[in-house]
Amino acid sequence: MSASLLFFIFSALVVLSLLLWASRPPKHRFTPGLDVFEALSQSRHCFRLAQVLQALRPEDTQYLQQIGQAALMQALRQQRRRIAQTYLDCLQEEFETLLEISRALAVMSPEVVGMEEMERWKLSLAFAANCAYVRWRLRLGLQPFSGFTLLSSMATDITRQLDAATSRIAEAAVRTTEGSRLGRGNIDGL
Amino acid sequence: MLAFRQMVEPLQLRNMAWALTTILECVLFVQLARRKFLNKYPWFSVYVASTIMQSAVVATVYRVYGVSDTWVWKIAWGSQAIVVFLRFQAVVELTKKILAGYLGIWALARGLLFAVGILVMANSLLFSKGDWYWISQNVDRGLELSIGAIIAALLLFARYYRLPIQRLHSALMIGLCLYSVFFVLNYTLLVKFVQELANFWRFLDVLTYLATLLIWLNAVSRYPEPATQAPPPAIPKELYGKLSSELNLRLHHLNQQLNQLLRSEDQHR
Repeated sequence: MSASLLFFIFSALVVLSLLLWASRPPKHRFTPGLDVFEALSQSRHCFRLAQVLQALRPEDTQYLQQIGQAALMQALRQQRRRIAQTYLDCLQEEFETLLEISRALAVMSPEVVGMEEMERWKLSLAFAANCAYVRWRLRLGLQPFSGFTLLSSMATDITRQLDAATSRIAEAAVRTTEGSRLGRGNIDGL
Repeated sequence: MLAFRQMVEPLQLRNMAWALTTILECVLFVQLARRKFLNKYPWFSVYVASTIMQSAVVATVYRVYGVSDTWVWKIAWGSQAIVVFLRFQAVVELTKKILAGYLGIWALARGLLFAVGILVMANSLLFSKGDWYWISQNVDRGLELSIGAIIAALLLFARYYRLPIQRLHSALMIGLCLYSVFFVLNYTLLVKFVQELANFWRFLDVLTYLATLLIWLNAVSRYPEPATQAPPPAIPKELYGKLSSELNLRLHHLNQQLNQLLRSEDQHR
């Protein structure tokens, strides 16, 4: 079989698969009436990373084995893994909401920045892949980890950064829309 | 009696399918006119009209000069070039109807779709190895593949940004894409198995076109006329710029957090 033949057949099949993928019923759209700023200021699940990591620490449940309650320890660890999975779902939901907001903004903007849109698309792919991987590993059973202190401080850093980012968003929006009531009205009606 | 014999002779499966496609093309054109779509979709209408003209011209030339004449071959391929060009224009027309209301997105999509088309075409020509025979063969297939890839990319793009697509536009686009893709598949297999499957390929080609025509006819007859969409609410581009980069930052952080979970597991396994 020649390379040309393979190329055309393979490309045609890829295009056909993409067409089928794209023709599926559309996903939900960003809820109209939900204020962008309200969505941005909703409580963030990443704040709870420290607690989730704490719950997954082996030391938290190790003592149960020492007092002869190995079965209880296993049950508790399993329950905590389920909680971690729920946390992961919430994290994903938060990510999706942010993505939806950014899509809605791009649709309404008279000019979009290709690089930023590309960056966001790559991020969404990376996040989806990572999320699936972590979920799969959680299902198999998280192994204990000892670098909790380091992780915890990193989580605090991220939370602080997120706070600063949200404040900047609000400030930027207020500054930009002060002179344009139309813009603010549109954002509210998103 | 002579007329009857002339009618009976071409009553083979392929010719019947060919006649059926021409009839369907005429019905489609009449439907376009009846529903007053000729003005709204001028390139698509011209494309449908060109396919009817092509069938008439090629059938006449076959009858007058015979199938093996070089001129017949040239006329057939020349008319095909016009039809493919018009199909491409119809795709551009529908793309504009779907995206042009969203200024920022349209500007982004234009570049992206153009790049997709050029990339696919260039790759198709890459396999010609400078041979003129293969270049002429691959230009045809490359164009069809580009049309298919552009439509698939457009639909994916619209899906990513949650843009609403009218059912009529969607059906017309899907029909155009399916025909292009099946043309490439059929043609590629013909090149490989030209001797054994030539007749079968021609029949398949007509059959896939027939299916495409039915999709269009169904869409043009059944789906309501696309309503004029109100432009989406506009925001100042400065606001988009600021919000967009901050949103990206937050997405980055969430992704980072997930990565840390992963890394922590790797470190302590």
